[in-house]
Amino acid sequence: MVFTAVVVFLGGSLWTIAHSFTSSRLLPKWKFVGFDQYERLWSTRRWMISIENLALFGVFSLVFTLVIGFTLAALLDRKIRFENTFRTILLYPFALSFIVTGLTWQWILNPDFGLQAVVRGWGFENFAFDPLNNPDLVMFGLLIAGLWQGTGLIMVILLAGMRGIDEDIWKAARVDGIGTVKTYIRVIIPMMRPVFVTALVLIAAGIIKLYDLVVAQTSGGPGIASEVPAKYVMDYMFGAQNLGQGFAASTMMLVSVVVILIPWAYLEFGGKKRG
Amino acid sequence: MARAVTTQRKTLNTLIAWSIGFVIFFPILWTILTSFKTEAQAINDPPLFLFFDWTLENYAVVQERSNYMRFLWNSIFLAGGSTLLGIIIAVPAAWSMAFVPSNRTKDILMWMLSTKMLPAVGVLYPIYIGFVKLGLLDSRLGLMIILMLINLPIIIWMLYTYFKEIPGEILEAARMDGASLKDEILYVLTPMAIPGIASTVLLNVILAWNEAFWTLNLTAAKAAPLTAFIASYSSPEGLFFAKLSAASTMAIAPILILGWFSQKQLVRGLTFGAVK
Repeated sequence: MVFTAVVVFLGGSLWTIAHSFTSSRLLPKWKFVGFDQYERLWSTRRWMISIENLALFGVFSLVFTLVIGFTLAALLDRKIRFENTFRTILLYPFALSFIVTGLTWQWILNPDFGLQAVVRGWGFENFAFDPLNNPDLVMFGLLIAGLWQGTGLIMVILLAGMRGIDEDIWKAARVDGIGTVKTYIRVIIPMMRPVFVTALVLIAAGIIKLYDLVVAQTSGGPGIASEVPAKYVMDYMFGAQNLGQGFAASTMMLVSVVVILIPWAYLEFGGKKRG
Repeated sequence: MARAVTTQRKTLNTLIAWSIGFVIFFPILWTILTSFKTEAQAINDPPLFLFFDWTLENYAVVQERSNYMRFLWNSIFLAGGSTLLGIIIAVPAAWSMAFVPSNRTKDILMWMLSTKMLPAVGVLYPIYIGFVKLGLLDSRLGLMIILMLINLPIIIWMLYTYFKEIPGEILEAARMDGASLKDEILYVLTPMAIPGIASTVLLNVILAWNEAFWTLNLTAAKAAPLTAFIASYSSPEGLFFAKLSAASTMAIAPILILGWFSQKQLVRGLTFGAVK
């Protein structure tokens, strides 16, 4: 049964790759056209924007999630009251569907009723924060929602890792006269390597999945400013009835994940722990 | 202790922590509050916080217009069914990996997990075609199987890490006493792993509950769960925030409540077992 799961996905992927070399439109068919679909793909502006957006979202969410998550965890790395409840609240956003997150933030970032209106109501009439209607900023609007959903999770994981570190390390650092910040950077972070790997895997998996959030929050707009690759694939497969093009785009996604992630994952998990 | 903490300091920390917690919780709170407002109050400028006329009309309208109960039932069926099916398959699989490992066990585990890293759009169309051919499109059974399959690697991996913590000697002792393989798994291993299994179940229920990609693409009307329900409110209802909030609140309430009463399992589960 385990194998069935793998076979279904592997088989499905191979089928997709094979059909990306055909001129399938409404229905899949075997009319081989070589790399035509890929040439078209890479000369489409929308695809290029999608790639750029995903890269932007990926880099920023990776950096911000880790930095914010770690800073918060370090701030709270002492016992606080009602800690279980606190962790539950931090994890709530992660327990919600991206659809709900997207809709909620679409509303909070709405210039007429959301954050902008509130701050203006406080007397700051010139305050302007309207990322979702600005093509240059729309990805940051998505980023805020993404961070809201994911940072709590990363923080809780990092906090748990920090707690696992022996108190004596701190004593030793104190005796040697090393400052708190320096101790975190030079001693604690390197010791937390396994925890950071877990966090990285979770963040990476979240970035690849970026689709529901975009659909719910911006629908790719304004214009095509917040398109992402997964949405490109979906629109070509089911909207534009151009299967070949959709297959080519999804094959590109598949290939990039395999090239970037899988070797790294094998090195990290497969290689060292064996034996 | 090297970092002895005074009561004052502890109070300060608690205050900081809870302020952060409040900021993070605020959007959820706001959604819930808005669901009790009228449409006019929902877009009032400046926004109303607590002092408005509480009303239930949005809930009535939403229920009347789209039959919330049917979506809820579909969600429960899908989340519960896929989790149950997944656990039934995963327990023996994780047992064999944890207690009878071979040279390839690590590789197989990695290989399985790596499928979670691949973009789902890559296999959407083949599965879609398969569903059409098998008549499974827009059926709860088909969707349940798909949800089970996509989360199976995570279930097995989590159970595997929990099983690893159980000393194999206990299972050996049971075997010495003449327990069959079935008895060993069912009556010795499973009861000891209950906390781990509970966290895994909760995680999987939440993942299945929130799954939007597959549910939106493989269902139409009959089998659509709550994610599809809110999505249907998003586009044509774009400006009716109170009703949208009521729909969202109804969709997230079960998870919030379930999570509140099983905080320990929630934290363990949602952090994929990283927090013990």
